[in-house]
Order: sequence, then C-alpha cells, then structure tokens
Amino acid sequence: MSSDPGVHESRHPTLKQYVWIAIFLFVVTFVEFVIILPEDFRGQGWTIAPLAILSAIKFGAVIFFYMHLKFDNRLLTWVFLGGLALGFAVVFALIGLFGTFTPSPRAWAEDNAIPCTFDHEYVCIEYSPTPTPLPTPTPEGGAAPTPVPAAASDSASEAATGALVGTGQDIFLTGQGEGTATGCYTCHTIAGLEGATGLLGPDLTTIGADAANRQPGVSAEDYLRQSITEPEGFVAEGVERAVPGLMLSALTGGLTDNDVDALVAFLLEQK
Amino acid sequence: MAHHTELSHHAPEEEHPTTTGINNRKLLMWVFLSSDCLFFGSLIATYMVYRGQSLVGPYPVDIIDVPITTISTFVLLCSSFAMVRALAATNEDRQGAIVVWLLLTAFLGAIFIGFQVYEFNLFREEGLRIDTNLFGSTFFTLTGFHGAHVTLGIVWLLALAWIAKKGRLGPKTALDVELAGLYWHFVDIVWIVIFTLLYLIGGFDTGPAGDPSLVPHSITGFLVLI
Repeated sequence: MSSDPGVHESRHPTLKQYVWIAIFLFVVTFVEFVIILPEDFRGQGWTIAPLAILSAIKFGAVIFFYMHLKFDNRLLTWVFLGGLALGFAVVFALIGLFGTFTPSPRAWAEDNAIPCTFDHEYVCIEYSPTPTPLPTPTPEGGAAPTPVPAAASDSASEAATGALVGTGQDIFLTGQGEGTATGCYTCHTIAGLEGATGLLGPDLTTIGADAANRQPGVSAEDYLRQSITEPEGFVAEGVERAVPGLMLSALTGGLTDNDVDALVAFLLEQK
Repeated sequence: MAHHTELSHHAPEEEHPTTTGINNRKLLMWVFLSSDCLFFGSLIATYMVYRGQSLVGPYPVDIIDVPITTISTFVLLCSSFAMVRALAATNEDRQGAIVVWLLLTAFLGAIFIGFQVYEFNLFREEGLRIDTNLFGSTFFTLTGFHGAHVTLGIVWLLALAWIAKKGRLGPKTALDVELAGLYWHFVDIVWIVIFTLLYLIGGFDTGPAGDPSLVPHSITGFLVLI
C-alpha cells in the first residue's frame, strides 16, 4: 500500500463536510429549478449554458467527495475521467454523424408518413388508404419549379403533349396535381432538374429510354404507369436503389388519372 | 491506535498487494463505472440526435412535469447522502446505524423509482408510448435504463442490509459497502445529467411549430459543458 507515494488513503470527508456537500447539491438543484421557473425562460437557448455548468458542478461534487475520488488513488480519477471523456467523444461522434442528415428525420418522416387510425391505446389499427395531404416542402432554394419550355410545335397534339409534360414536372417536384402525393423528387434524382436530387429511389435521369426494357413485353408507358400506381407490383432487378417495399402505393394513391398521365408523359421525356 | 485502525480498515489490500496499490475489486468497479459512461453517453446522444424530430405528439412540453421530477431528484440526492452515512457507520463499526442507513438509502431509491413508475404510467395514459414517436422511444429507453440501474442498486443495498443485520459488515469489510456506494453515487450523477438534459433543457421542446433546429442547441450545450 505504501509502495505508491500517490496514495493518501486519508479518511473520508467528515460528517460536517458531507452535510455541507448535501446542502450544496440541494441549493444548486434548487437554483437550476429557479432558472426555468419563469415561463419566458423555458426552453430558451441561453439557459443551456448555466444549466449545463450547474449540473457539471454537481457532477464533480458527487464524484470527488461522495465517491471520494479527491481522497483516493489518482489512478482511479484517470480511469473514470478517461471513460467520461470517451463517453463525450461518443456523444459528439453520434451527433456529428446523425445530426447532419439532410433531410432531417422529421422532414423525411413528414414526406413518407402513412397516416393511420389509432385506437384508444394509440396503436395504429388501420392505415388510411389515401394519405391525407401532408405539408410538402418546396424544392431547395424555394424556387418555383420552372416548367419545361414548351417545344416549338406545329401541331395541336404536340402542344398538348408539351403542356402535359410541364404538368408532370410540376407534380414530380411538388406532389401537387389535381390530387396530392409525396413529391417524387424526395427520393428520385433527375440530373439537370433543380430540386430533383433524392437518393432513396432509382435515378430517373434516363427513365424515358430505360422504361421500355425494364419488363419484357410491357411498353414503356405501361411500365411507368404501373410503377407509379402500383409500385409494389413489379420492381425491376439490377437497378440501383430499386428496393422492393420502399416505394408504396400509399405515396401516390392521392393522384388522379390525369396526374398519372402527366407524370408518365414527363418521365417518357427523360432520355 | 490510529495505525491499528488503518491496518484493519485496509486489511484486504494488505492481504492482496497489487501493482497499482489499489484493491482489484475497487479498480474493477471504477472501470465498470467508466464504461457505463459510454453506455449512457450513447443513449444520451441518441436522445439528442432525435430531439425535436418527432412527427406526432405528445411532445415534451405536453407531458414533462419538471416540478415533480425536481422532487424526485431531491429524493435521489438525499439517498446519496444516506449512502455516505452508511459507509461512515461501517467504518466506525456502528452496527445498528449501518443497517438503518443502508435501508434508508434503499428506501429513498425506491421512492425515486415510485416517482418514475408514476411518471411512466401518466405518460402512457396521455398517449406517449415507446413506439409513439422518436421522443417516446429515446426518452423511455434512456430513463428506463437509468431506472433499471437504480433498481439493481436497491437490490444490492437490501442484500447488504441483510448481511449487516447478521453483523457481518464492519471496518474489515467496509469495501463491500464502499463499492455499492460508488455504484449508487454513479447512478445519482447519471440522473443529474439526465435531469438537466431531458427535463430542464429538453422538457419544453414543442412540436413541429417550434424551433426545428434543436440539435445545434444541444451541441452548444455540450460544448459549454466541456
């Protein structure tokens, strides 16, 4: 025991000291409580600093006196503070890793939530067949989607197709047509289209050319139509980020037939 | 006389000299507590990452009751004081006092758990379950694991009180009480952190209408804490 000169296994603090520490801890806790007593102070960013400092002081008082690290072998202090430092490192690493996700978990959930009916125990008993309109974020930058410049057309039908493509693009970027869906851009990328940078589903930059070859015997138009209205029905193999079950018809169930026509027309143009 | 007391008090260390000069059991306990910092650190980080990300209520501001939890925090602080008295009584070989203080510590811990059970039930009735939203998941996981630690501590203390009642605790076996005390105080300091983060700071978080950029706040708080 005496081999280590750092050991001063003195007696533990006296009763009087313990009482003072207890009173100190009580007072600090009370002060913390008082800080958040005024309603205007609650949840304010500036309260974090004093509250964090006060709790750190309490933390120190308990480990150094109640757990008598102050009077014990120094090695124990380093063992514990080392673990504490690692703990902080874990906290920062996790916040750094997960706190920077875009979109935030809540934004993502808002876009992908499937409304359900809850029973009195708050258990989801029925998924709503048609999603109620959810707030759909505008594409990054807040810029209104620019319609595809109507191609110079020499026939009425081509003009109509151009208008349909423009409508399809609007729906793709906002989820708002005659009906409402989750904006396709949330999960799908179309290179060169501002806002369409989602990374959850397949890249649709050249879908207009690819669609015809995805399912043998199915035309590009029919393939796209089915992929929108019944995403569960067929999932192409060998396509990057084509994950069965990730896209659900609940996401698109709010679209009308006209909306789907416009989306198909728009997607067929992506070559 | 003082020398004699010192010897008997540290008898286990005399019997088993170690290269560190620290009793192995004591070192092990500190290493365990040190590793438990990582355990709770992960849970706290998870809470903070998902803080303010719940899509549906109830949100913290709807159900967190800071005054009630302040009372239970006081109770836990009291129990820590009772714990140091139990260790002092053991070192001074006051047999009756050892039992009383150990039982009082366990009793106060049980009151704390009682508050937690009441709180969990209230939250459940108000619609917050562990699978309701991200707040529910992270809140119940973190505070639940803390409650489990406290419960384990109560069992440990009751066992010690039983041993003390048989007269088997005293200056020579004070380390048995000291180790339980270290564990108990650690559970107390974890609560100090949880109380500050989940109640005093996070207890007023609102739903989507409130400030959505809450994670940076948490980071600022931790920077300050360091």
